[in-house]
Amino acid sequence: MIKETITILNENGLHALPASRFVKLAEKFKSRVELIKDGVKVNGKSIMGILTLACEKGAKVILVCNGEDEKEAFNALRQILEGQD
Amino acid sequence: MPKEKILHGVPASKGVAVGKAFIYEIKKTEIFQTPILSVYLKDEVSRFEKAVEKTREELKKIKEQINREIGEDFGQFLNAQIMMLEDETIIESVKQRIFNEKKNVEYIYNEVISEYAKKLGESKNAYFKERVVDIYDVGERVLKNLLGVSHTSVLEAPPGSIIVARDIPPSEATLINPKNVVGIAMELGGRTSHTAITARAFEIPAILGIGEFINKVQNGDDIIVDGERGIVIIHPGSGRISFYEEQKKKTQQIAKALLPACELSPETRDGKRIDISANIEFFAEVDHAVKYGAVGIGLFRTEFLYLARRGSPSEEEQFKVYNALAKKVRPHPVIIRTYDLGGDKIFSDYHEANPFLGWRAIRVCLQETDFFKTQIRAILRASVNKNIKIMFPMISTYEEIKRVKLIFNEVKQELKSKKIEFDDSIQLGIMVETPSAALMGPLLAPEVDFFSIGSNDLTQYTLAVDRGNERISQLFDHFHPAVLKLIKETITAGHNGNIWVGLCGELAGDPLAIPLLVGLGIDELSMSPSSIPKAKLVLRTLTIAHCQEIAQETLNFRTALEVKKFLNRVVRKKFPGIEDLMK
Repeated sequence: MIKETITILNENGLHALPASRFVKLAEKFKSRVELIKDGVKVNGKSIMGILTLACEKGAKVILVCNGEDEKEAFNALRQILEGQD
Repeated sequence: MPKEKILHGVPASKGVAVGKAFIYEIKKTEIFQTPILSVYLKDEVSRFEKAVEKTREELKKIKEQINREIGEDFGQFLNAQIMMLEDETIIESVKQRIFNEKKNVEYIYNEVISEYAKKLGESKNAYFKERVVDIYDVGERVLKNLLGVSHTSVLEAPPGSIIVARDIPPSEATLINPKNVVGIAMELGGRTSHTAITARAFEIPAILGIGEFINKVQNGDDIIVDGERGIVIIHPGSGRISFYEEQKKKTQQIAKALLPACELSPETRDGKRIDISANIEFFAEVDHAVKYGAVGIGLFRTEFLYLARRGSPSEEEQFKVYNALAKKVRPHPVIIRTYDLGGDKIFSDYHEANPFLGWRAIRVCLQETDFFKTQIRAILRASVNKNIKIMFPMISTYEEIKRVKLIFNEVKQELKSKKIEFDDSIQLGIMVETPSAALMGPLLAPEVDFFSIGSNDLTQYTLAVDRGNERISQLFDHFHPAVLKLIKETITAGHNGNIWVGLCGELAGDPLAIPLLVGLGIDELSMSPSSIPKAKLVLRTLTIAHCQEIAQETLNFRTALEVKKFLNRVVRKKFPGIEDLMK
């Protein structure tokens, strides 16, 4: 399991396009993907889940990937959160 | 047998239809709550899974249909719905709550959907807020599938149907099958609604904005849609039906008689060629244009690209449509008109007191330059096909055309620096549809490659008449001497500046107007595809010298009525039997 705190750097926060890109990408991996913010944990493969977190730019979230391809998943998803993809 | 009743509405698409009512209704599903025994909870879950699967298939089908008929990528907005349907959080929470609360899936699912819709509605992000409609849409579909209520779709309309509806949502309007649907009668909607646009594209007669009436109609009832008079007749008597059947037969005979004319070359008896082209708004309409013998597309309206989806289409989406269009019409030309809607359609939901005199068309584009450049880039990229011309609407000042050209050249430079190919000699023209542009013709002509007179708006702005207003619509007349004078000035100014001048309003397709316009020296006439054969027949009976005499004389009259009486006499003399064709 990889678990690390990441600061959202995407200009508009984790909204609209980045959020749906995040979900689409997360679905490609076998690993379980979770996001935790302020003690609330959501499924990273769910747009509704991510939405309930309301991540603005500068927010800190914990990205958790757990499974056989967790390393690849973590690195790819982190780039979306950091707005570098 | 209920009594015959005549209903009035907005004639959104012309023609007459007699058919059987097919009621399209969006029924609100009734949700009930019932306890479920523990042993049956698994069955609830599997019912849920099946309903989700069925809904996914439905959404995919609609998406494919939209992509096929409107343009590739335009069904993409349904992706958001599919994503919500498949959302793991929603699905997991439904399953969990079924086991925890031991209640039926319809009840649980409805609760969950409402909860998330509320969350979306509270979001500060506009994109998420707008998705509330989608989540309810998806929710309804799933619930219908759970309850086994068949989701009526316009797709199911049998041959000879007249669709009767309160409203048809955009995603549904695009599914109307012109082979089965002969007419449309709707309680809501106006001339610019999706349904209206689809109806016109497929030449299906339609009356919209009728007001409440569908509770008076049942599936299979006889019904008549008269797009010429703007009426719908429910429970028509047998006399009425035979009258309309007769009229329909006559229209079809005329259409058949005109068919050979499609192939004719568009020229006067003495050999002067006038390009007769088509006004279209859908890619799918190119087939009509070709069938009726159009020499190219004189006006491709791009508004539908903006209305068919939510928000503004990307450069790539637009490029695909323009490129496919150019390829299909080649070697004939295509004139693409840039954004010609009010700014409210894209940028905000504000309301203007006076939208036709407001923030619209080029005025929006010159303020929202990134938005404007996206469209120009897409058009320029498609111009590699070498048959595209670009046209800007609603020009009313000299500065506007200067600024348009500045931006246009900036985009060209940008493409060059990126080594993206385009047609550097692409023709650039403007719509002449404001009196100011018509009067400024001599100053505007040196700035552009062509003028296209938009006679509908030119009439509206010159006579200060909103034709949609029933109380004054009789004042709207494109044969008004003031309008004709402006048309003459525009053509003269264009020719003095060595550019060609076309006309793309309804006037172009009016057989009465053709001798006059040819006499004034018009180079191109662009009209709705079905008007083309008639226009060719009229054109081929004329000689230039005679048309010039006609034009000269026409300009002496004082009223639109005098003009029309005179032209009627002239055309009838030249072309006996024309009145049969002018119905």
